[in-house]
Amino acid sequence: MTAADSFVQAVQALPQRLRQEALSLPAGDRARAEELRLRAGWPMTAVLPEGERPLGGPPVEGRELEQLVEIASRASLHTVLDQVRRGYLTFEGGHRIGLCGTAALREGEIHALRAISSADLRIARQVKGAAAPVLDGLCPGGRLADTLILAPPGLGKTTLLRDVIRSVSEGEGCTPLRVSLADERGEVAAMYSGRPQLEVGRRTDVAEGCPKAQGLMLLLRAMNPQVLAVDEITAPEDVGALIAAAGCGVTLLATAHGEGRAGLERRPLYRPLLDEGLFRFLVRIRREGERRIYTIEELR
Amino acid sequence: MVHLLGAVLVAAGGALLGFQAAAGLRKRGRAVRQMEEGLALLERELELSAPPLSRLLERGAAHSQGPARGLFQGCAQGLDRLDREDFSSLWRRMVRERTELTPEGQAVLLPLGDTLGRYDGERQREALAAARRRLGELAGRLEADSRRQGRVYQALGLSGGAFLVILLL
Repeated sequence: MTAADSFVQAVQALPQRLRQEALSLPAGDRARAEELRLRAGWPMTAVLPEGERPLGGPPVEGRELEQLVEIASRASLHTVLDQVRRGYLTFEGGHRIGLCGTAALREGEIHALRAISSADLRIARQVKGAAAPVLDGLCPGGRLADTLILAPPGLGKTTLLRDVIRSVSEGEGCTPLRVSLADERGEVAAMYSGRPQLEVGRRTDVAEGCPKAQGLMLLLRAMNPQVLAVDEITAPEDVGALIAAAGCGVTLLATAHGEGRAGLERRPLYRPLLDEGLFRFLVRIRREGERRIYTIEELR
Repeated sequence: MVHLLGAVLVAAGGALLGFQAAAGLRKRGRAVRQMEEGLALLERELELSAPPLSRLLERGAAHSQGPARGLFQGCAQGLDRLDREDFSSLWRRMVRERTELTPEGQAVLLPLGDTLGRYDGERQREALAAARRRLGELAGRLEADSRRQGRVYQALGLSGGAFLVILLL
């Protein structure tokens, strides 16, 4: 699917008027658009690499935001309520709508969004081959080694993780292995109706929606993985689960927010990962213009 | 002979009108009862597997009869056009098309369009259960009316026909 096709597929979730407005973007911009932003009372905007651009239509109405959720969920909010409570909604094609509004609380937790005020339609685009520049380095002897991908937000950690998973699962440039993916927020595989909407390979099993630490243990017990993958280590429980999994002889593949090894060592959350020698390789990502530059560092 | 034949026809016509009116009453009660059963089915499906609304309605249509089948089928098909008509409007339109449910039955069903697919499974089940109970009561009343008034209509039809025959003869 081309980038412009992905755009057309993503805007199917918009109410008719907004969809026509989005489709009025020139073909070149459709292919480059990363997001569509909808804020009640303001015209819809497209987020392009150079910035956010209003599409020039009338302001978005509150009921159109509700309609967006209804279309994306196929009028089945009860099936995606857990996602909505976390502030997003994944729909067919792996596209994602970030939601913001007035929260209704129950026992101190977000129970629902009562009035949606903003939505961010993120267009899913898979970059097949993103992992090609690093695969050789991460697979000494042809088999993936324990790897941590580290970068600040927005540099493509998830994109790289997804393509490493796909490549390893398909055996592209390395030994094919069974991969189990704990995809708590559904950003890597983007499951919809039980199927990954983004390619993660034929030997990949996905546990979506459950907390990462629980997901990792579930996969370890249930799916007998050779590689255990997780996006964004954010809590001590995640680190604990990875340490427990490492003892079971499974290869670990994970991402984390950060700048470099020094930054990792400074943060108490990540220090046990280094102390335990969990990862053999650290992949750092930086941007040079439109290009991503990957650096592989050996940790042990 | 012709007079006799005419008299028989007039009497039979009167009786038929009475029987038809009685059948109409029975039909309304049956339609509301089928709708009640349809809602019970949706309630059970929601409790068992909480499927997406499209699958819930398709299953409901496959295992329901009468107006419930048509309502669920129409709404399931309409889910492909949510960008043009939201589910609440679709449901209301489909309910209003089911005239056999009586205005009272339609009034019970209409608010369901604001709940189905828009809340968690529990709240949807509660709304379905409340509507089902009210439809059950309505069906009970209509069935009782049908038994009582049906006999009156049948008797009226027969006696009206006989009266006409007497007048004509």
